[in-house]
Formats: sequence, structure tokens, C-alpha cells
Amino acid sequence: MTLNNLNIPKEICQQCILPGTFPGIKFNDSGICKYCQKESSSRQIKAVEKKSEYRDRLDSLIKKIKGTAPAYDIIVAFSGGKDSSYTLKLLREHYDLRIIALTFDNHFVSPVAFDNIKKITDKLKVDSIIIKPPWSIVNEIFSLTSQKDIFSKPTLLRASSICTACIGMVKSIVLKTALEMSIPLVGFGWSPGQAPIQSAILKTNPSLIKPNQDALKKAYPLELSTKLNAYFIPETYFDKFKDTFPYNIHPLAFFDYDEDQIKQELKTIGWQAPEDTDTNSSNCLINAFANKCHISRHGFHPYVLEIANMVRQGIMSRDEGLIKIYTEQNTEMITYAEEKLG
Amino acid sequence: MDKTKEKIRSFMIENFLFGEDIDLKDDTSFLEEGIIDSTGVLELIEYLEEEFNIQIDDEDLIPENLDSLNNLEQFISKLLKTS
Repeated sequence: MTLNNLNIPKEICQQCILPGTFPGIKFNDSGICKYCQKESSSRQIKAVEKKSEYRDRLDSLIKKIKGTAPAYDIIVAFSGGKDSSYTLKLLREHYDLRIIALTFDNHFVSPVAFDNIKKITDKLKVDSIIIKPPWSIVNEIFSLTSQKDIFSKPTLLRASSICTACIGMVKSIVLKTALEMSIPLVGFGWSPGQAPIQSAILKTNPSLIKPNQDALKKAYPLELSTKLNAYFIPETYFDKFKDTFPYNIHPLAFFDYDEDQIKQELKTIGWQAPEDTDTNSSNCLINAFANKCHISRHGFHPYVLEIANMVRQGIMSRDEGLIKIYTEQNTEMITYAEEKLG
Repeated sequence: MDKTKEKIRSFMIENFLFGEDIDLKDDTSFLEEGIIDSTGVLELIEYLEEEFNIQIDDEDLIPENLDSLNNLEQFISKLLKTS
């Protein structure tokens, strides 16, 4: 892939990759966006210090928690993609935790990703559970969110509505399972561009999760929201488990993150990169369609903020970022998803 | 402390309301109105810690502290007094 084949917008930050169509964006006379203008060398030095501080914090937390729960130290949201596979490897090999990996099967998991799920959990000796809602429910959710944006406005800056619906269910199911199985840690494979480092080790808080979940549920039509109750945290849990809400961790925010290096390391335990996914996913077959819906409605790619953050942090080169974001969505994959959704 | 509130208001408008100068009232609930979600709360924390040079503990991440401009102003004022 060369830069010549890309659909790079005319107005784009000269430092990162945010386009002029990104909501609220402003550029200075040199064509540098407001986010890059805020990034200073002192801020970058602070970020390095912060990463080291967070590694120490995780070491201490694990020392305190490891072995105290009945069966598992941590439940990891495991899609079989590159980032969650690497997170699983890190937590198993670096910390020797007792892990249960939870996979949410949204009916669009690439067959290669499923192979990866089986291989990696076996190789790392990790228990694996798969939750697969019936197709009728998944179809209803994805058909609705492919046609309109039902969630709050700020979610649109970070993800397509299809992705927000899916990940909202993943987060709820994982937390619900952690509460039910008395698991003290919940792990995610968020990339360093996906969420601020401040959230990389965070005790989940029922009084904050409840209103967030209420807002998510309220976004759906009542009939569908009722069908989804089984996947959300029951109201009674907020009080029943109020003292045992787990810590959320996403270690890739503060461990070294280099995509090529990660893929190399994963290969050694049998992970293979799928060839049927888009440039921003290594497990999901609806992503290209979700991206297309978002781009046509909003004029910017739903991954652009995450990838721009990584370019700004120096984790990814600008050219790599441009390729990830401004490559045309694969029409075969779009058609596949459209036909499947009916 | 009005300066604090105005700084936060500008941040909220710029980062969560697409730069649209809507009427964000002092007691508008960010969560109920869908102005911020779970990731948004964390972005707000990142901003507050940097802007006001404060440390916010996990147990302080509750709506009573964070869920409106009024709540935030009181919370920041309390933190600045004790730091």
C-alpha cells in the first residue's frame, strides 16, 4: 500500500492525521490541529514517567490481589484480535495470573480469529468462555445502529454506532460475570490511543457505572432494551455487590506498544493475522461496514481519533496512520455485512 | 471560582459538544443528558488533573463530584483547599 492510493482529505493536520471534517477541529496557520498544538515535549516526558508509574501501580495491585479470589484473578475481554491476544499473553506470562477469557461472539467474528481464540487460550492455559446472543437480537441491534446514531454525541468521536453498541454489551457482560464469579480484576486490550492512561488502572464505581448503563439502555427502543436486559448488569447488583466491584485494567496503555513487535511475539504462540478484516481490526467482519456507515453520515473515519492519538504519542508513524484511516473500505466486506444483515 | 467553572465549561463545549455553543447550564447533568459517557468521564479527569494540577482518587469518581458544572466547581475547590 502506498500513500498515492489513499483518499487523504485536502484539509488535514500536518502533524497527525485528523481531518478538517472532525467535529470541533481547528488548525493554526501552519496547518497543525488544536490537539497537536497542546502536545509539548514536557508533556511527552511526563507521559513516559506516567507509564512507569502505572507499571509500578499494576505490580502493587497484582501483588495485593493475586490468589485471593476463589477461582480467577482476572477476566479478560478476549476478541481473538491482536491487542486482546497480546494483553492475555502479557497477563499470563508476565504476571502468571489465573485468567478466564470471555469472548463475545457477535456473529461477525472472523474464522481466523476463532482459530486464534482456541490456539491462544490453549497455549497460554487459560479458560475460555464464549457468549453468543441469538442472531435475531444481534441483527436487530446492528441493523438499527447501521441506520441511525442512537447513542450520545461524544461517542461518535471515538467509534461507529455499531461498534459502540457491541462494545457496550461486551463491557457489561464482562463486568457482570466478574461480579458473579467474585473476580477482582477485569482486563481489556485497549490500545494506547483508545482511552486515557488515567483509566488504565481504575476501580470500577457502581455509582458511575449505573447512570452510564441507564443512558446506554435508554438509547434503545424499549422493546429491544428489554430483550437486552440479560446482558446488562441487573439493578440489584449495584447494591448487592457494591463493595466488590472489580478494578479495570488495560495494560497496553503503559506497556511498550509496537504493532509489528506485538504481531511477531504473538506468532510465537500460534496467532495468525486474519486477511478478511479491515485495516483497523484483526477479528471483526462487520467493521468495514460500520466504518462506511459512520463515514457517510459524519464525514470522518470512526478510528481517526484513536489512530491520531497514537501518531501524536509517537507509537505509530504518520504514514502508517494515514494508511489505516484513508484506505478505501473493502467493498466485498461491506457487501458481506449488508447481505447478512438483510 | 467562577474562572474554574468557565474553564471547565469551555473544555466541555470544545471536547464533548463538538464546539457548539449550546446553553450548558450550571446544573445540567452530564450523564443524564448524554453529554459524557464512561470514556468521556476519564477524558474529563485527565483534563482536570492537568489543568488544576490535582490528583483525583478512584473513590472520588462519583456523580456527586463530577456530574455538573456546579458539582465540579465545588469538588475542585475542595481539592485545591486540601492540597
